[in-house]
Amino acid sequence: MKVDVKSLGTFNRLAHEGAEQATASLCQMTGLDAVVDVTKITLVNRADVGDQLSDGDYVGVQFEFDGELAGDTVLVFDRSGSETIVDSLVPGGAEDDAMARSSVEEIGNIMMSGFIDGWADFLETTIEHSPPTYVEGDGAAMLPEPPNDEERDQVFVFKSEIEWIGESVSFYIYMFPEYDPLADVMARTGGTEDDAIPIDKLEVFNEMTKDGTQQAAANVEMMTGIETEAEVTRLSFAPIEDVPKQVGTDTYVGTVVEFTGIPSGFLLVLFDEASAVHIAEAMMPVEMDEDELTDQHKSAIEELGNIMTSGFVDGWANVLQTSVEHTPPRLVHDMGQAIVDPLAAQVGQHQEHAFIIDSEMRTDDIEFGAEIHALPNEKELRQALDELLVERADETQADVEKIF
Amino acid sequence: MKVYDGTTADSEPATPPERVKVGIAESKVTDGDAVLTTSGLGSCLGVAVYDGSAAVAGLVHAMLPSIDEMEGTNEAKFADSGIRHLVAELEKRGGDREHMEAKLAGGSDMLDFSENGSGIGVRNVEMGRRTLAEFDIPVVGEDVGGDHGRSLRLESANGDLIVKSANRDPITL
Repeated sequence: MKVDVKSLGTFNRLAHEGAEQATASLCQMTGLDAVVDVTKITLVNRADVGDQLSDGDYVGVQFEFDGELAGDTVLVFDRSGSETIVDSLVPGGAEDDAMARSSVEEIGNIMMSGFIDGWADFLETTIEHSPPTYVEGDGAAMLPEPPNDEERDQVFVFKSEIEWIGESVSFYIYMFPEYDPLADVMARTGGTEDDAIPIDKLEVFNEMTKDGTQQAAANVEMMTGIETEAEVTRLSFAPIEDVPKQVGTDTYVGTVVEFTGIPSGFLLVLFDEASAVHIAEAMMPVEMDEDELTDQHKSAIEELGNIMTSGFVDGWANVLQTSVEHTPPRLVHDMGQAIVDPLAAQVGQHQEHAFIIDSEMRTDDIEFGAEIHALPNEKELRQALDELLVERADETQADVEKIF
Repeated sequence: MKVYDGTTADSEPATPPERVKVGIAESKVTDGDAVLTTSGLGSCLGVAVYDGSAAVAGLVHAMLPSIDEMEGTNEAKFADSGIRHLVAELEKRGGDREHMEAKLAGGSDMLDFSENGSGIGVRNVEMGRRTLAEFDIPVVGEDVGGDHGRSLRLESANGDLIVKSANRDPITL
């Protein structure tokens, strides 16, 4: 299977418009006001998809669909958000479990029919879908069972995030297309061959990023003595104007570098403020009593950002067997979205869509989370992948036998 | 572009103004009582245009200076085409460019890695001023440049533009 940038762009728009239709029918039925915030296509390890939802309490509906495209789709509401919806349909309805459930099913059915019909219209075909299945629980419980496909651990996921105006709750539409029908449709909607990237190379790139993240985590551990694990790695694709929305409006502290080579681009290491204080204190020789972020904390973060960047970039360079240079890190402390915005604008001078690489790391010892985001030049990424022999993915680990 | 018409809603004087979110590369206008917000401006430019006599206001969140520099069909993504589109939409809602006033915010040069020439933030601001000058719309308030991000809130009732930053108290333009 090959995927090209044009068909990814088309699919992204389609998923976004489908989500907008679904949201419009929700707003019409309930009188509530919501907008589709962001839609992205992600290539991710299937087992990691639910991670983002794992802590919450959710309700929603699942559907299977079949036809030219086949797979599963899920509508996920935050439980309190669903109560608002149920009450707007049937005042007081949220108190009555059976009523709440049937309202969610009903609204889910209407929204998702619109979503699937949008895809069918575009493909000029019919796509059948099953009746809705009501689901509730934590993130993992909301998503359908992964298919028994041992050949592939990485899958394409289409995800739209929808935001209530004036509320902090969001809801999500996920679509998990089956591999073979998706490959056929992508081949049909694709553009010229030179834009196409064989899917196995994208998977290798994801693996490479995972190794880079592990290297970065190892560096954190070395520097702080805190056991740190690389968690999720994703390769996403989105219109350039949606790139800053990948990071929220909360305040972050971290570092940014520009890297040069093939591909060139930007690499961000970001910590939420609380994590920044915790990890910086772990690096300091003396106890600090302040919860506020001081200049000492910031310089510790700068140092940490530097070694994490080096670790990450080394992982890439090893696989690509080239050297990737980067500028000294620049310290940032600002709204997350405002940090990403100038980088997206710089990349956006040459391209309309972007690949975004996201990694996360966590530690059990202290409250700490770090995110790494990379924004490579899309054409150069394609070139790098073109030149990449898939077998090299194993070579981020130095082979002792070869060296000695 | 979506148009929010306050007259079609239940408009009791006591109801709070409608909140309208303007995303990146989007523009929105209102001829009702609304608060237009946009967040996370780094090098992006926010342009608020207000005509008090016609009670119309609009906000655009532009990412890059000029639509002429690259292929693109989304006018609101660029400062020049975004402002032209915004002025046209305000005129459709009864605004008159002779009575319009503009306020600019954003265009920071944080994280500008360009080694020669001006960064995107600076060019966004210049293009914003130049395009507004084409329409003879005066810029009556500015909070641009610097090395920090901004979020904006435009109150259609009086044209106030409130600029918030992560490490600074809000200011009103």
